[in-house]
Amino acid sequence: MTDAMMVPKTGDQKWWQKRKFQQYAVAFLFVLPALINFTVFRYYPMIWSARASFWEYSLLGGFKENIGWENYIRMINDEFFWDSLLVTGKFFLMYVPAVVIFAMALALFSNQKKPGMGTIRAVIFVPVVTSFVVVSILWGMLLNKDVGLVNSILASLGFGRISFLLDKENALPTIAMISIWKNVGYSVIILVAGLKGVPEELFDAAVVDGASPWKQFIHITLPMIRRQLMFVTVWATLGAFQVFIPVYSLTGGGPRRATNVIVYYIYSRAFKFGEMGYASALSIALLLILLIVSVVQMRLLRRDY
Amino acid sequence: MKTDAQMDYQAEHNRMIRRARLKKISSAIFTLLGYAVIIIIFITPFLYVIGNSVRNSQQIWANAYPISWRSFIPYEGLTLENYSQSLGIGDVAKGMSFDISRNLGISLLSSVAVVCLSLIFNTSAAYFFGRLRFPGKNYILIFVVATMMIPQQVVLVPLYIVADQIGLINSFWAMVVPWYASPFIVFLLTQFMADLPLEFDEAAIIDGANLWQILWRVVIPNTIPGLITVSLMEFQFIWNEFYWPLIAISDSKLFPVQVAVASQFTESGPNWGIVFAAMALASAPVILLFLFLQRYFYESVAMSGIKG
Repeated sequence: MTDAMMVPKTGDQKWWQKRKFQQYAVAFLFVLPALINFTVFRYYPMIWSARASFWEYSLLGGFKENIGWENYIRMINDEFFWDSLLVTGKFFLMYVPAVVIFAMALALFSNQKKPGMGTIRAVIFVPVVTSFVVVSILWGMLLNKDVGLVNSILASLGFGRISFLLDKENALPTIAMISIWKNVGYSVIILVAGLKGVPEELFDAAVVDGASPWKQFIHITLPMIRRQLMFVTVWATLGAFQVFIPVYSLTGGGPRRATNVIVYYIYSRAFKFGEMGYASALSIALLLILLIVSVVQMRLLRRDY
Repeated sequence: MKTDAQMDYQAEHNRMIRRARLKKISSAIFTLLGYAVIIIIFITPFLYVIGNSVRNSQQIWANAYPISWRSFIPYEGLTLENYSQSLGIGDVAKGMSFDISRNLGISLLSSVAVVCLSLIFNTSAAYFFGRLRFPGKNYILIFVVATMMIPQQVVLVPLYIVADQIGLINSFWAMVVPWYASPFIVFLLTQFMADLPLEFDEAAIIDGANLWQILWRVVIPNTIPGLITVSLMEFQFIWNEFYWPLIAISDSKLFPVQVAVASQFTESGPNWGIVFAAMALASAPVILLFLFLQRYFYESVAMSGIKG
C-alpha cells in the first residue's frame, strides 16, 4: 500500500523534474545567442591574443613559432612603447581635469532656471552625437595654419599664425582640446542630472545661515554630486587611455611621435607593420593597465561610501 | 514730517532696491554672455561646415582670409554642386571618386541591421536575466557584466584576428555580426525589466500564456521607452564607429561613410567644398535624430551614469 503510494509519487517527482528541466532549457534559449556573442567576440579574442602574444604570429601564416616571453621582453626594451605610454599619460593630464572642470562649469551654468537653458544643453551635446571623424576633420580645417578659420581670426586681430597640429609642442594639446570639445557635453548631462537631485531646501537653509555662493558650492553642491563627479572622472580617464580617432585622422602620431598615443601605436604595429603577435602583447599590456586604473578608481569611489 | 530715522530707512531702502536691480541686470548680462560664448564655441564650427558646403572651393579659399562676415555666411555663388557630387547625382559626378552615396547606404544598412538584431537578442537576454528563473543566473550575469570591463578599443586588434579566422574580414557582415549583442545594453534592459511588477507575468501565466507570449504581450509593451533609448544608442554607435571598419574593411567599395570621409579628406587635395558636403552628410542623420528625440539621448546618458 505504502509502496504503491510511493511509486506514482516518485514518478510524479521525475516528471516534475523533467518539466523543470524543460523550463530551464527554454529559458536558457533566450540568453544563448547573447552568450555566444560575448564568448566569441569578447572573451575568445582576449584568450586568443594572449596566446598569440607568445608566438610569432602573422595573419597569413598563423602561429609560426613559439617564442615564449620574447614579445614582452621586446616591449620592455621598446623605447617607442614607453614613449607612447608617456604621451598617453600627458594626454590624460591635459584631458581629464579639463573635462571635469569645464563640465562642472557648464553644468552649473546650464542648470539655472532661465529661459533657453534647454537649448544651451542641447547645443553643448550636439558634438557628442557627431561622429568623431567628422569632428576631427572639421577642427583640422579650422586650425589649418594657412587657411583655417582660427588662424584667420588670429591673423586678422594682428597675432601671429599658430601651427596647431604640425608643431611638436602644440599637437598633443590641440588633440586634447578637440577631444574635450567633442566629449564634454556627455559629462555635462551627467552632472546636470546630479545637480537636479540636490534638494532646494539645503540651499535655502544655507542662505538663511548667510553662506556665500562659493561656500554653498563647496559644502553642499560638491558633496551632493560626488557620485556623478567620480563617474565623470572614471569615464574621462578610460576615454583618455583610448584616444585614437583624432590622432589617426589629423597627425598620424606625429610630429616626431608627439601624438603617438598607445592605441595608435598598437594600431600602427598591427596594421602598418603586420606584427600581430607583438600588437597582441601590447593590447594585453594596455588591458592590464586599464584594469588596474579602473580598479584603483573604483576603490577610491567605494571608499567614499 | 519724517523723522531722521525714517529718512535713513527710506534711503537705505532705496539703496537696497538699486543694488538688487543692479544685481539682476549684471546677472542677466552674465547669462547672455554665457549664452554667446557657448553658442560661438559649440555652433560656429557646424555653421562653418554647412556654409562652406554650399559654395565651391574657390569661394572657400577666397573668403578664408582676411576674415569677414563672408567667411561664415555664404553670400554669392551658392551651389548644391558639392552635395550632388557627394551623392553621385549627375553626369559629372559619375566620373569622379567623390561619390559617397554607396557608403551612406552601407552605413545605414549596417546600423539598421545592428539595431534590429540587438532588439531581438539583447531584449531576450534581458528578459532572461530580469524575469526568468534559472539556477546560477547571477553567475551568468557576472559573465556578461565582466565583459563591460574590457574596453572597446583594446579588444579590436584581438577581435580582428578572430574575425579573420571566421572569414568576416572585408565583408559587410564584419560591421554587423560582432555587435548583434551588447553586454551594456543587456545590463540596461535587465534593470528596466526587473522594475516591472512580477504580477503582470503571473496574470498572463494564469491566462495560459507561454514565455514567448509574456515577453511580447507583457514585457515589451512596458519597456518601449527603454527599447527606443537603446536602439538610438546602438544606431549612433554603429553609424559613428570608425576604428573597427577602418581595420576590418579594406575594400573601398565596402567602406562605411565615416571611413570614406576620412579617406576623402586625405585624398581630396584642395577640393574642400566636397569634403564639407560629405562631412555634413556623414553627421546629419544622428544629429537630426538627436534634435527630434533629445529626451531619449539624455536618458541613455543618465542610464549609463547610474551604472557608475
